[in-house]
Amino acid sequence: MDTSKPAVLVNGGLLRGYVGQRVRTVAQVVRPDAGGLTGRSTDEKQIDVKGKMPAAVTTFVEVIGVADGPQSICAEIVTNFGDTFDANNFNQLCRHANGDFRHLFI
Amino acid sequence: MLLFLYYSMSTSTHTSVPRQIYPLARLNPYQGNWTIKVRVTSKGHMRHYNNTRGEGCVFSVELTDDDGTQIQAIMFNAAARKFFELFDMGKVYYISGGYLKRANKQYNRVDNDYEMTLNENSQVEEAVNEPIIIPTLTFSFVPIDQLGPYVQQKELIDVIGVVQHVSSTMSIRRKADNESVPKRDITIADDTMKSMIVSLWGPLATGIGSKLLDMFDASPIVAIKSLRVSDFGGLTLSTITKTIIEINPNSHESQKLKTWYASEGSVATFESVGSTFRPGHTNDAPSMYSDRVGLEYITNNPSLGESTPVYYTTRACMSFIKDDQAMYYRTCKTCNKKLTVNVGSAYSFLICRKTQTDPNFRYVVSAKFSDASGEAWMSLFADEAETIIGCSAADLDIMKSKPDGSAYQTQLKKAKWVPHVFRVMVALRAYNNDRRQRITVKIVSLVDYAGESKYLLNEISSTQS
Repeated sequence: MDTSKPAVLVNGGLLRGYVGQRVRTVAQVVRPDAGGLTGRSTDEKQIDVKGKMPAAVTTFVEVIGVADGPQSICAEIVTNFGDTFDANNFNQLCRHANGDFRHLFI
Repeated sequence: MLLFLYYSMSTSTHTSVPRQIYPLARLNPYQGNWTIKVRVTSKGHMRHYNNTRGEGCVFSVELTDDDGTQIQAIMFNAAARKFFELFDMGKVYYISGGYLKRANKQYNRVDNDYEMTLNENSQVEEAVNEPIIIPTLTFSFVPIDQLGPYVQQKELIDVIGVVQHVSSTMSIRRKADNESVPKRDITIADDTMKSMIVSLWGPLATGIGSKLLDMFDASPIVAIKSLRVSDFGGLTLSTITKTIIEINPNSHESQKLKTWYASEGSVATFESVGSTFRPGHTNDAPSMYSDRVGLEYITNNPSLGESTPVYYTTRACMSFIKDDQAMYYRTCKTCNKKLTVNVGSAYSFLICRKTQTDPNFRYVVSAKFSDASGEAWMSLFADEAETIIGCSAADLDIMKSKPDGSAYQTQLKKAKWVPHVFRVMVALRAYNNDRRQRITVKIVSLVDYAGESKYLLNEISSTQS
């Protein structure tokens, strides 16, 4: 496992705190865009993803990349996460990972 | 000639009837020649059975004396037939010539260390001058899947079930007098795998209904007497003024439901009777996540299941399975009993006395399971073992008999380290002079990852508060 470039687990609301840093999140695809897609984060905020997309995109995608704005990620890796995903669970995980349990994460 | 009869429990009576009445509390297997005077406070129905020793019939009665001590009396075959008509609920009898032994707590829930067996030579005599006092509440429960014939009939029925859902109180305006009446709907389910809505009206909605809402997640059992069956919304049960509701009654039926619910009912889905189907109710169905423990909890508590087996849910992976154990036994295709190995490749059985060359295979597996907390050996049978091992016992036998045992080894290897959710039964089993903890898998479920994550998140949150 390559730990040289760690990415912080974020949701829409937490993204703004890590501008310029490497982040990872899961978002629901709202629509494809020129050069990327528009997504909805697990806490119902808009996230703009710029970068190379997989050929066919499922309902949910994981995006790993550098945050280049309060609601934008310059994606390095985009992975299809399927059509069923529990947004609530992921959202709570983000809150724990950046809250009381951040010492367990990066 | 007048006969004065008075009965004192501990001294001999001054009557022409030369018998000394013993209190039930004083009875024991070493006491000879006793006579008891008891009331029948419960009478079971006649049960017919068929086991290795043949056919038979049995019934039991619950006897209570003046001090309130109770004891169960059982009768088999000839004695059962002799005394079944004689014993009536609420009547008082003189009984002697019974045989006492330690109570079998598995079948006998009466609070007494001993139980009594009456045989054909026991004496049972009705005490004719005693008033007949029938215990106030007798139920005759209708299983939920048999409510159909009662719709719109005048007959009131009784039901018993496990509470699945309790609604909030609604206020219904009665057309007749424009009065507002409180109403609460509860959903109950029983072991016919059906569920039913019971509407509680008036004081039952606010009183006992509110109590049920508070104790909802303990899955209480309710026994309800005198319900009206109507065809409103397909089929509904409604309470009337004389309806009586008992929560978690101390009865045989209640205990039977409780055991069923603990072992399989709590993870089952029920078909709703009545056309108003209630999809997705708001309360979390506490199924795979109730009584969740880690394996370490079970193994660290060697006294679990001491008197009656206890049930838990746990998520674990099979971590080790001995490939040289006998994982299955052969059974007869007709009577399903275990076979004994015969000379050559034919098998014969204990019961049917037929010889067969092509028997059924049934799993009996013992394997070690691990989870984050620890590890434990568990037993699996039949379908549960098949789910874990991933093939039928017959197929496994074919793989094992091959000269190249690699298919067999691979099958077992593939079965390891796959997480499942298990409903297990923990009991103490006698082993030589010791009592060892034995964990048996009753139900295997696939892991619902979204649900498990939610459960784990809740657990994490609860450690913080």
